[in-house]
Amino acid sequence: MKSWISFLMPDDEYKEKKMLYFLAEGAVLLFLFLVIMIICSNFISLDTGVILLAGIAIFLFYILGRYTLSGIEYTDIATEKEYKRALRALKSRTASFVVLFGIGYLVYTMASNEANWYDFFGMVISVGIISFLLEFISLKKSYKKNKELL
Amino acid sequence: MRNNVKITRVKTSMTQQQLAKNVGVTRQTIGLIEKGEYNPTLSLCIAIAKELEKTLDELFWEVED
Repeated sequence: MKSWISFLMPDDEYKEKKMLYFLAEGAVLLFLFLVIMIICSNFISLDTGVILLAGIAIFLFYILGRYTLSGIEYTDIATEKEYKRALRALKSRTASFVVLFGIGYLVYTMASNEANWYDFFGMVISVGIISFLLEFISLKKSYKKNKELL
Repeated sequence: MRNNVKITRVKTSMTQQQLAKNVGVTRQTIGLIEKGEYNPTLSLCIAIAKELEKTLDELFWEVED
């Protein structure tokens, strides 16, 4: 089945089906959130910018959370050896990401004259930890799921 | 959906990884099909049947004992 969103979908049909479910669930949640916000706006004044950002956050975090917990990211990790190798690769990938993010963030803060070392290290360390944890949970879930399917 | 994919694959000494690669899906998808936790599309059923040199009936048709 062809659709304009096909280019975003994985080639594997099971993974594709799961992703479509996550996107559809996220869209329904976003719709409900917006309906509730429209109703609430009749009684209280709401900041449009905040509501729009919250809507985007709900949609993205829901899909990211479902994807991470579903164990469909690392489809070929099924043995202890493969798991340890993937974990090592994950650690080096996270380290590279943190370094690149740090450089990018440093350039941005220096360009905007808002350089503050506490903010800088806080941001870089937080992003590194969150990125590692999300990938680690996904890897662990995938490994557990794949092990049961052998 | 119960099926005979796993038995047939093991008989032909093919690994999940090999079958997955030959039919263009992931090893996880093959594992889920073998366990009956995912119902594949007809085109994937045909690809698996061709790869294992069996008919769709032999792999996917449930016969009551």
